[in-house]
Amino acid sequence: MKKDAADASAIKKRSLFKTVLLCLPMMLLTFMMLTQGSIPTDGERLFALIATFLFFNILFFLMVRTGKTDRFRSILFITLAVCFVFSFISNLIAVRGSMALSRATMIEGGAPFCHLVIPMTIIPAALTKTIIFPGKILGRYSIAGMFVLWIGVSLALGRGLCSWFCFFGGLEDGFSRILKKPIIKNMNKKWTYLPYAVLLGIVLLSALTLSPTYCKWLCPFKAVTEYVEITSMQVLIQTIIFVSLFIGLVVVLPILTKRRTQCGLFCPLGAFQSVTNKTNVFEIRLDQDKCIKCNKCIKACPTFSIDEESLGRGRVKTSCTKCGKCVDACPQQALFYHVKGTPLVSKLDRYRLLFLYPAFLVLAIISSRFVQDAIVKTINLITTGTTI
Amino acid sequence: MKTLKGILGYSWAFLTIFIVLATFIGNDYFSGKLASATDIKISPWFSGGEIIKTIDHGAYKTYIHRPVFDALIGERRKGFIQLNWEPYAGLPPVVQETIDYNDDNRADFLIILNTQTGDTTLSANCSTVLSTERSYRLKKGWAVRVILKK
Amino acid sequence: MEAFILGLSNGATCMAYCAPVLVPYLLGEGKGIFRNSVLTVQFLLGRLLGYLLFAVFAWGINRSILQGVSRPDLVIGTAYVIFSLLLIYYGFFKTRTSCETTCTHGLRHKLMTILPVSIPMIAGFVTGLSLCPPFLLAFTGAVEKTTVLQSMFFFFAFFLGTSIFFIPLPFSGLFRGFAALRIIGRMAAGLIGVYYLYSGLVMLIGGNTI
Repeated sequence: MKKDAADASAIKKRSLFKTVLLCLPMMLLTFMMLTQGSIPTDGERLFALIATFLFFNILFFLMVRTGKTDRFRSILFITLAVCFVFSFISNLIAVRGSMALSRATMIEGGAPFCHLVIPMTIIPAALTKTIIFPGKILGRYSIAGMFVLWIGVSLALGRGLCSWFCFFGGLEDGFSRILKKPIIKNMNKKWTYLPYAVLLGIVLLSALTLSPTYCKWLCPFKAVTEYVEITSMQVLIQTIIFVSLFIGLVVVLPILTKRRTQCGLFCPLGAFQSVTNKTNVFEIRLDQDKCIKCNKCIKACPTFSIDEESLGRGRVKTSCTKCGKCVDACPQQALFYHVKGTPLVSKLDRYRLLFLYPAFLVLAIISSRFVQDAIVKTINLITTGTTI
Repeated sequence: MKTLKGILGYSWAFLTIFIVLATFIGNDYFSGKLASATDIKISPWFSGGEIIKTIDHGAYKTYIHRPVFDALIGERRKGFIQLNWEPYAGLPPVVQETIDYNDDNRADFLIILNTQTGDTTLSANCSTVLSTERSYRLKKGWAVRVILKK
Repeated sequence: MEAFILGLSNGATCMAYCAPVLVPYLLGEGKGIFRNSVLTVQFLLGRLLGYLLFAVFAWGINRSILQGVSRPDLVIGTAYVIFSLLLIYYGFFKTRTSCETTCTHGLRHKLMTILPVSIPMIAGFVTGLSLCPPFLLAFTGAVEKTTVLQSMFFFFAFFLGTSIFFIPLPFSGLFRGFAALRIIGRMAAGLIGVYYLYSGLVMLIGGNTI
């Protein structure tokens, strides 16, 4: 691998013509996925569609033109999280009247299934052919639907799911960018193994109790989606736990450390997804000839996926979510996206583009419904005083 | 060998775009196939188990689910049986059912439900019938779970 | 099932700590996968023998002490609370392995110098004499059982759970990543300890955990 300053600057700013050419496929694909064959006639929905389409494609254009990934990815990722929460909660209140999930709703299979439940369901599903979740097998927010999404996105992106699909991750991503500098700079490395311990613990306990332990006891995102209505002391304890975890891991620690602490230090699905990184075609690699060991990448990585040891091997750890923050942070452009099997050439931006197409497409498609819905609801809220 | 690996790498990378498109466009199709291929169901601890008997009272029906003692392997010592009454419109102020859940031709318990308040009264005729959980007001009617032991 | 899960949750730690020391000693002969498998099975049988003896001891405690107590769930609940707190402490805070700091560590060390531990079964039996927090929790669970067979079956399930992690050993090449496995195993054990702490507290106040 050779230093090539001239080529490095070529990656940074692509010509306008080439950029537009590279963005055309994404414009076509996002148009196709946003409209799904029909353009709305309703004024609000049409405005939401146009605004969302322009928003997505401007961001992609900037990603391709400037050579920066995380800066623009994070804007859409945080928008997804905020719009998802707004859309989800307002739908719940419109349908049920509250965010609380009653036992009656659970008996009727009315709980929406999310991807965080997946690791817990596998052993019971294999042994009993049942899913230990009070949801629906088919339909909206269904179990089978989410499984298909998870399989497809995992095949395409590996643990990139955590930075390009997960509609919860954007909350921490947003909080981690509030301060300019971290207040807590150092953390004991052993805590990066906690997600794997949480995964092992909840998988075993879920199999033992035939109920989704993480959802019942630990998931901090119940604070912004839905939670079991408090009818007993046990549920009250569970509520205190998840609210505390949300405040601690999703709000306070990301602000203080400028990292995604729930994702990097707790999330069991993230630990599960790390396995998929082993077989995924995309990876982040290091050009050791260019590296000056400034450690800016280590400080930048939101999920603690880089340390001196991994840099010494020219790689990042399997917990890498491929957000691109380290690539953007490196002053020498020593870190780069790479396609396995191809030559290890750091100057080629084609690897990053090959990754950006499926990754941005995933992010855009998963965001499309929630962003449009949030825009329509905001317009309704402003004009009529209600989100309906 | 290097060239072959490179071609495979690039091909796989291009393929991911199509995987993403297929995943989202074909989600309904693939999820239907996944569900039917695996024949997966919701755990009876949440759904109440399959309906094994229906009693037609004319204006309303009583649905009796199978006793649920399912464990990961084998059965648990404690379980329940779920009873549903539907529809709301046809329900009298009080409904009662005498249930033989273990098919031994002897009534195991009598359950009385006040459909206005949701209050339940249980009269157990054998030691394996313990108590009731609270009643649940569903979209179409009422449900009650009676706690059993083996 | 509960015993099996408890064994599984702690097996990673057991394997990560015991294997790097014992396996090179046992398999130093380098006699191939089949011979290595036979030695590992002998080692595990020795551990099983130790566990089954403790199962009988646990049943003995049930018959002699627990039967005479008016609120046995208070005794069991208290035991769960104490041992789970120990497990949480070793899982998240103590740097030395819980195997090394048990009161039986000295006894095991002495036995290994006296007995011909070149015989794998004896090595396994001695290794099993470890009153570490996961084992103590399993022991408490076994004490609850009313018959000796139930107690033995409970320990057998715990043994199965811990032993699953030993299955790949004869195939070697698995000594990479033991450091990470230790940390993960200890933290997982600590989290399971939280579950048992909750179970113990609920028992003490007279409720139901599941």
